[in-house]
Amino acid sequence: MNGWSGFQRDLVEQMPLILAGLRQTLQLTVIISVTGFLFGLVVFYFSNSPYRWVRSLIQGYISFFIGTPLIVLLFLMYYGLPQWGLKLSPFLVAVIGFTMNVAAYNAAYLTTARNGLDPTEIESARAQGFGRGQIFRWITLPQVLRLSVPALTNQCIGNLKDSSVAFLIQYTEFFARIQELAATNFQFFKAYLLAAGVYLGLVSILVLMARQVEKWTRLPGLGR
Amino acid sequence: MALIRIRNLVKQFGNHTVLDGVNLDLQKGEMKVVMGPSGCGKSTLLRCINRLVEPTSGTILVRDQDIMGAEVDVRALRQSIGFVFQQFALYRHLTVLGNVMLGLRKLRGMSRAEAEAQALFQLNHLEMADHRDKYPSQISGGQKQRVAIARALAMDPAVVVFDEPTSALDPVMVREVADLFNRLNREGVTLLCVTHDLALASQIANRVLFLDQGVIRADDTLENLAKHHPNDQVRAFFGEKEGRS
Repeated sequence: MNGWSGFQRDLVEQMPLILAGLRQTLQLTVIISVTGFLFGLVVFYFSNSPYRWVRSLIQGYISFFIGTPLIVLLFLMYYGLPQWGLKLSPFLVAVIGFTMNVAAYNAAYLTTARNGLDPTEIESARAQGFGRGQIFRWITLPQVLRLSVPALTNQCIGNLKDSSVAFLIQYTEFFARIQELAATNFQFFKAYLLAAGVYLGLVSILVLMARQVEKWTRLPGLGR
Repeated sequence: MALIRIRNLVKQFGNHTVLDGVNLDLQKGEMKVVMGPSGCGKSTLLRCINRLVEPTSGTILVRDQDIMGAEVDVRALRQSIGFVFQQFALYRHLTVLGNVMLGLRKLRGMSRAEAEAQALFQLNHLEMADHRDKYPSQISGGQKQRVAIARALAMDPAVVVFDEPTSALDPVMVREVADLFNRLNREGVTLLCVTHDLALASQIANRVLFLDQGVIRADDTLENLAKHHPNDQVRAFFGEKEGRS
């Protein structure tokens, strides 16, 4: 293969764009990880509402967003909404779409973890005179979050990888820039291998961070 | 004036009647023991007093206030009744100190320093201050119970109620629990204890109430209940274990 020098030249030439794309990727990942987490907490809070209709609504939300591919949602908003006169930027569509999707997954992890709580601790908190909100804030949430650390950090790793989907709605993130690089010299194998390597490197960093978080949040004397 | 006065308390779950007209008086400074076989409604009785379970009918007066009244602040009522659960129910994500402090901080609005001082005072009182930084999973059952008692006492309750205090402990712990209860009662703590542990009852009370099939069937000394009660089953319940204790 004589493509190496050409590929290298194009790579160096397009490096500023690729780095800008990488920054976009990281930006989107961080934003949707935070918003998806926070909105997930809200969804989780209402999943235990005393009102049946609220619980049904939340269950419907979770089922809908886990049950539909994210790409469909993104296309619906990016290509579909303009037909109703609503035009959103690729960034906004990506943030909204991912947040709704990631929040549904996070809420599902948290509700699963709630099953691992000891109901007598909740009863004990009620007997002490704590209200619903206080029990959620001081008893349920600290325990559920600890139990969910592996699932929640995995979701962040998923967010980084899935953010590449955003190139399909014209969001110029890392993978979109790699596409452009590949298109200029037709060295698809090298370009995509490079992309895979970069994602792997970033994921490895996230994994190390996740391990650290798990260590910080582990309670002495308990497995988790 | 009775601290707690229960009249004609009825609790039905669906068409199953658990409490069928219970009457009970608890005086300030008293230590009262309610006994009865499993499933007799002991736990339900306790849970009615702080409205963890809503009574079907009847009246419960706590310090002369009808707790079923519409204007009653249920959460304030609960704060005035210390509840020590069978499994102690410590918050597992908090240290011993944190368990006692949480209510003081979030319910009483104390500063961290105030709450810590008050919590340490109670832990000290129950000889658990050395374990302040341990988590519930790192201490024994008896120690958990002491922390649960400290957590209840820290809120300065009018009464402390115990649900089967010895059932989650080794049988050899009964003596220790009894000594602790006697000490607390001497110090002025009002206690209401439901148990089916005859050994415990005999060490902390002369008279016991016998709850069976949803009603208080007897209020007498253990000796009379074992020897002279007209009902065979009652005599059997109290007599059977007497030799062992």
